[in-house]
Amino acid sequence: MQTFDVLVIGSGGAGMRAALEAGARGGLSVGLMTKMFPTRSATGMAQGGINGVLGNADPTDTVDKHIFDTVKGSDYLGDQDAIAFFCGQAAAAIREIDYYGVPFSRDAKGQIAQRNFGGQSAPRTCFSADKTGHVILHTMYEQCLKHGVKMLTDRQLLDLAVDGDGLCGVVALDIRTGTVVPVKAKAVVVATGGAGRMYWSRTTNPFTSTADGMAACFRASIPLKDPEMVQFHPTGLAGTGILMSEASRAEGGYLYNNAGERFMARYAPEKMELATRDLVSQAIETEIREGRGFGEGMNAYVLLDLRHLGREKILERLPGIRDLAITFEQVDPIEAPIPIRPSCHYTMGGVDVTNFRTGGTALAGLFAAGEAACVSIHGANRLGGNSLADIMVFGKCAGVGAADYAQAQSREAGDGALMAKTAEWEARLAAAMARGGGPAVASIRDRLAEAMWNKVGIFRRGAEMEEAAAIVDGLAAEYERCAVGDDSRVFNTALVNYVELGNLLAMAKAAVLGAINRTESRGCHLREDYPARDDVNFLKHTLVTLAGAQYELSYRPVVVTEHQPAERRY
Amino acid sequence: MEQVVYRIRRFDGEKEFWQEYSFAHEPNKTVLWGLLKIKETADPSLAFVAACRSAVCGACAVRVNGEAVLACETPLDALLGRFGATLVLEPLGNFPVIRDLVVDWEPKAVRLAEAKPWLMPRDEFSAEAGCRQTQAEFKKINAQTNCILCGSCASECNKLSTGDDDFYEPFVYTKAGKFVADSRDGAAAEHLRPVLARGLWKCVHCQECVTKCPKRVAPAEDIAALRRESIRQGLTDNPGARHALAFAGDITNSGRLNETTMAVKTDGLLKSATRLPFALRLLRRGKLNPFHFPAPVEGIDGVRAIVKAAKEAKE
Repeated sequence: MQTFDVLVIGSGGAGMRAALEAGARGGLSVGLMTKMFPTRSATGMAQGGINGVLGNADPTDTVDKHIFDTVKGSDYLGDQDAIAFFCGQAAAAIREIDYYGVPFSRDAKGQIAQRNFGGQSAPRTCFSADKTGHVILHTMYEQCLKHGVKMLTDRQLLDLAVDGDGLCGVVALDIRTGTVVPVKAKAVVVATGGAGRMYWSRTTNPFTSTADGMAACFRASIPLKDPEMVQFHPTGLAGTGILMSEASRAEGGYLYNNAGERFMARYAPEKMELATRDLVSQAIETEIREGRGFGEGMNAYVLLDLRHLGREKILERLPGIRDLAITFEQVDPIEAPIPIRPSCHYTMGGVDVTNFRTGGTALAGLFAAGEAACVSIHGANRLGGNSLADIMVFGKCAGVGAADYAQAQSREAGDGALMAKTAEWEARLAAAMARGGGPAVASIRDRLAEAMWNKVGIFRRGAEMEEAAAIVDGLAAEYERCAVGDDSRVFNTALVNYVELGNLLAMAKAAVLGAINRTESRGCHLREDYPARDDVNFLKHTLVTLAGAQYELSYRPVVVTEHQPAERRY
Repeated sequence: MEQVVYRIRRFDGEKEFWQEYSFAHEPNKTVLWGLLKIKETADPSLAFVAACRSAVCGACAVRVNGEAVLACETPLDALLGRFGATLVLEPLGNFPVIRDLVVDWEPKAVRLAEAKPWLMPRDEFSAEAGCRQTQAEFKKINAQTNCILCGSCASECNKLSTGDDDFYEPFVYTKAGKFVADSRDGAAAEHLRPVLARGLWKCVHCQECVTKCPKRVAPAEDIAALRRESIRQGLTDNPGARHALAFAGDITNSGRLNETTMAVKTDGLLKSATRLPFALRLLRRGKLNPFHFPAPVEGIDGVRAIVKAAKEAKE
């Protein structure tokens, strides 16, 4: 049986940052498990930048300002002790990855260049043109190669294995051989990314953002925190939902409706296009609803205009954006405005982290980081540029936490729970592959996305979400008899999609449950039937826990230190 | 055109076979859209990988009609316009195939690691304070950082097609070149030595890697830059560098090549001697005259001025 001191699952920025931290320590065996080749991860799609108070563009910027912007941006649902810790570490994390080789755009002094981003009071977003996530991801991969991290590629996480004494490791599908394999580990870091594919056809996320780690932890009775908090990015391409970076607004892009009006003046008169993502997304959808968009129904959109920035600035600062618009929307932003519409972008909720300094969870030895985790620093709305900072800061914390834990842990877990889980999954996957007939995986997946977008999307109502809950339950029942359609043991991607859909269904059910019961509007969670924020009753995190087959709901107060909740204006 | 046909080279882990899939054409779609259509409506057993669908993750590179492309960003209509209704899809070349269009990256990662593709920062920098770099210096590595490890360059590399014992995948040279060109890196030789030991001077200049790269990276140019840097660093004890230097010397001296001395200068007397049979055959046919020492061409001063200007431009 493969055995590691530290096993990291997920090869995005958080996972690789954790793995190289544990690997660099020396003396520990570190494995990095991922369902594709490591550099295919969602981190590589982050375009705009990474936040930290370096003071390069604005010497008056302070960590306190970063803290306040993040607290306010979260609509006061972020834990302020964790946010203070995070903002305090971000600058050091950025300097460190500069040293590791991340190629940053530079200012006249040779320092890392910084620009404005949504919801910020100073230009503190460091960037590498508009491919910041890509270069961070590749640099982390390079560092993992340097530190001899053992890569377990083409392995789909299935479940954690836990016995009476605690965490034993995980079981995974070895996609190459079609066999279920146990992997023993003293410490496990879950860094498997988000759940954006709940909204399959309208998301900026890769096909792989399927809540694998969230669902595995959930099945092991770790709570999901704030699963209803889903960020919709304002500027997805109209036709495909592909991301147009927030840098496009940060560099000065305008949003227009069909009357040629810069409509953000109505919603955020001071910040205009640079208001937070929740507010800009809600503004765009309101324009469309009230007949001021272009096109109709699912094909409606508004325009993002970059033309006034000029050819040179677009080519220098936003070359990737331009390429994407030309390729996927047949529009050159130098010549014409880009049709855009909000698109599901980020899962603020996730695996309940109870110790932000280590990424630790309620289960000893289990750590979580990145989009899979909920610390929570993003609360009800994440600021652009805070997710790359999140994965660098908390990825490192989880690497340290897991390495410390593994070093202190002398107990070697038994094989019992691992072998039992392996047998359980082997039987389940064999049965699924053998099944003929039944609904197709893609059909269930598409109906899930439709229900989530229409009923648990940007605008939410109790009655519609009750309908969505019933639909999700119905789809979960269909899932039990669905057809994989391929019984090969060799690289069976249909089988992988089957496993992923199970994870999405579990996460969706938790998200709908959390959303129905949060009878207020906060950040991205906009209840038309409860339009006001309710700090008296809802200044608290949702926790959804699996007890038997039941999804149980509980709450935990938000940590408020310096900043009392106040009205949020931009 | 109402129907599109994908003729796909499939492999189930043991045997290879061809299969055709036909589906209704829709305008403004991509190659990946067609693959997803097949998988979701006709045959779930067709294996391929894709993730970002926006040309940044590199997962979905495949060969279409003999050329590597990213399936996600390649417009179907343009291909159909050029090739007609039937497209031939195959896995990337020069990769082991796992199943259908899925190739094995694990051996490639091992080879990539040999080039030590990580920053070895100069002593003046630290993890605590970070580094300094001008925007102009950043721009020198900006093109190479676009590499998404999709494998398109390796798929079409003519040198790699003849075997990978004495040559790396072009992206390996690009990665090494990125660190050699990075002003923050203080150990260029560390990145140069591994690529010198495997193939740096063996690129056949076919430019397939340049024309096939979907991200406008130019591995062949990185190879040329690495060669120049290796000579600048005095790493000239190899046939490639000796050949290049002999070439440059001949041109400077006389404006033309001396074929007889070229072999000796490149390979040394001993190794050149093993080519004697070949030289004798050339002699017999009147293609080689060992007693011919070419006089400088007319206008040699102009040639020398060009060589001088080129040297200065590089420095």
